[in-house]
Amino acid sequence: MKKRAFIALMVVICCLVVVMPLTAQQLKLTVWGRDLTDGEPDHAYVTALIKDFQAKNPDITIDYVALGDPGLADKTKITMAAGSGLPDIFQTWGGSTMGGYADAGRLMDLTADLGSVPGSAAARGAMTWKGKLYGVAPFFAIAGVFVNEGIFKANGLGIPSSVDQFERVADMLKAKDIQPFACGEADKWPGLALYMYLTDRFGGDIFSQAAARKARFDNDAFVKAAQLYQRWVKKGYFGDKPLGEKYGDAQQLMATGKAAMHITGSWMCAQYSSKDFTDQQIGFYAFPAMKGGKGPVTDIMGMTDIGFAATKVAASRKDAVVRFMKYAMSGDAAAAEPGRVSSVPGVKAPSALTTMASNVFGTAKLVQFWWDQNLPPAVTTPLNDTIQTFFLPDTDVKASLTKFENLATQNMGAVK
Amino acid sequence: MSEIARTARGRAVFISLMLLPAVAALGVFMYYPIEETFRLSFMRSSGLGDAAFNGLANYQFLFGNDEFRAGLAHVFLWAFWSLVIQLPLAFFVSYSLILYRNRITKSLRAVYYLANILPSTITAMLGIFVFSNTNGVLAALARKISWTWLAKLDFIGDPTLAFWAVFFVATWMYTGFPIIYLMARMEQIPLEIREAAELDGAGGWRYARAIVLPMISYPLRILAVLMIVGSLKLFDLPYLMTKGGPGDATKTLGIILYNQGFVNWQYGSAAAVGVVIFLLSLVFTIAQFSWQRKGGEAE
Repeated sequence: MKKRAFIALMVVICCLVVVMPLTAQQLKLTVWGRDLTDGEPDHAYVTALIKDFQAKNPDITIDYVALGDPGLADKTKITMAAGSGLPDIFQTWGGSTMGGYADAGRLMDLTADLGSVPGSAAARGAMTWKGKLYGVAPFFAIAGVFVNEGIFKANGLGIPSSVDQFERVADMLKAKDIQPFACGEADKWPGLALYMYLTDRFGGDIFSQAAARKARFDNDAFVKAAQLYQRWVKKGYFGDKPLGEKYGDAQQLMATGKAAMHITGSWMCAQYSSKDFTDQQIGFYAFPAMKGGKGPVTDIMGMTDIGFAATKVAASRKDAVVRFMKYAMSGDAAAAEPGRVSSVPGVKAPSALTTMASNVFGTAKLVQFWWDQNLPPAVTTPLNDTIQTFFLPDTDVKASLTKFENLATQNMGAVK
Repeated sequence: MSEIARTARGRAVFISLMLLPAVAALGVFMYYPIEETFRLSFMRSSGLGDAAFNGLANYQFLFGNDEFRAGLAHVFLWAFWSLVIQLPLAFFVSYSLILYRNRITKSLRAVYYLANILPSTITAMLGIFVFSNTNGVLAALARKISWTWLAKLDFIGDPTLAFWAVFFVATWMYTGFPIIYLMARMEQIPLEIREAAELDGAGGWRYARAIVLPMISYPLRILAVLMIVGSLKLFDLPYLMTKGGPGDATKTLGIILYNQGFVNWQYGSAAAVGVVIFLLSLVFTIAQFSWQRKGGEAE
């Protein structure tokens, strides 16, 4: 009996010896993201991504840390600077911010592993820096014009097909005591989308030239766009007190039918199509072209909405990282998103509004990334500060832009 | 070695050992970061390992920069108005609570102090809730009673009003501590003095001017210095309420430091702002110590 017990014990020990190394092969990936994995519709994609990936990949444990906004950006920046405490994967919009990390040698080049993953060229471009691909962007945001179709119909207005018509429509809305545009410029960044469009419509892709230091930021197109912007502010298109209006206020103005249009990112599709958020009928349209201008209606402003990049600390677990990235770009994961425009082929838009935004995105011949994500970080806050000065009626916008150009010269070099 | 010498040496070793943790903690968490900040202020650095010495360029950039000059002006203005408004207000409230002491004095003291213990995020949200032109209480009330002149004011979005809107909220938030501090000092004034003053016919105002103010001049000076140093380091409330805008209307040195370091990736410039704040604070702290000594001697 004792002998049997001894043999049984030995068998158990042997089993443990065999099983323990297998258990030790369990991989762990630390992922830093912005949103909580809770029941909020805005967080549905991230929630499903983490939960489903974990279920489908039992050999990988995901340690997901939600850091919020600007917590994610701040903590990522600090740890990238310190070079320690980095996550394996982090959520990013790509562009120059991610490029700075790549230049500092903190990121893992995934070109060979993810180059063939199907997705929109614009999304891949946002996650590419100096020819190398550092991650994936399953969702892409574009800026366009959210229009309260109910207000337009009730007032016999058509969707503007030129900037001139835009102005006429805005005048008519103003005359009827309806705020033409919701904006939220108290938060500084919301005014950028319109300025990007106006500058593009005046001068074409002049921004790329200025960013490459082949044109000044106070050249004719930038100044004319700023002057038109300021004229619209003075005419009250953004309400009587546009600098007291935060981005959340702007959303409420649209949701309650107090404002007729909102030029912002397609990330608002989920809310603007939700009956819990608004009872208004809202559509999404491309920003129109300008008579005599250079930028066509197919020049679209936008950037990554949700993207992921990997750091070098994950080099030993590259296979697991690539599996995560590929799953993030899968139709299964993307299908959980209730509003964003997906860059994953074949994913059905979750609402009519997202379909409209996806259609606009589909017409894009040139995608210009958000200037405040694409320029070197040293000039991005001053850029948004400069745009906010357009909302002050007494500002000399040309002088503001010259001041910004001087800062750009200091940080990006003089125009060649 | 004599017994006395051995005892003295043992005591010295004991004292050194006792001091060591505190000195080490100060060195690691205070003096080293200060030294690093000074060093970094002479470098050009994005924080990603590309630091290069650039002399005084960061300081030249800052002092030639409109935003920094605006921030500097704002913190001094803030300090000035804190001394002119917050300190007298704190005195007035604390003196009233002491002079007219009754059953609700303790509750009132708690009420005044409440804002001081609220997180600044909550205070800022309440401030926006009051002053916002789109959905603020003040604007809604003004519209309700047809005070169109008030409804038209954009307290947060108008560059000429934003500073005052933030300052108003700050006054509510920050005056609680001076009130408690002054009340504690006023309570130490012997009751006999007040009775004697009353017998001599001194009313409330005369009693305050001739007896209370001279007796609390030392804590008043300390509070003044704390307010000035607090103004120099100001960050949370203006950042949360206005992000320093509109334009540069509510920018402070703290906001500029944050933007330079964590948004613009200009660690060198951010460190230079930190050095300016440190040096200005040091000047006023030295003044505080000097007053403290004099105050201590006087008392």
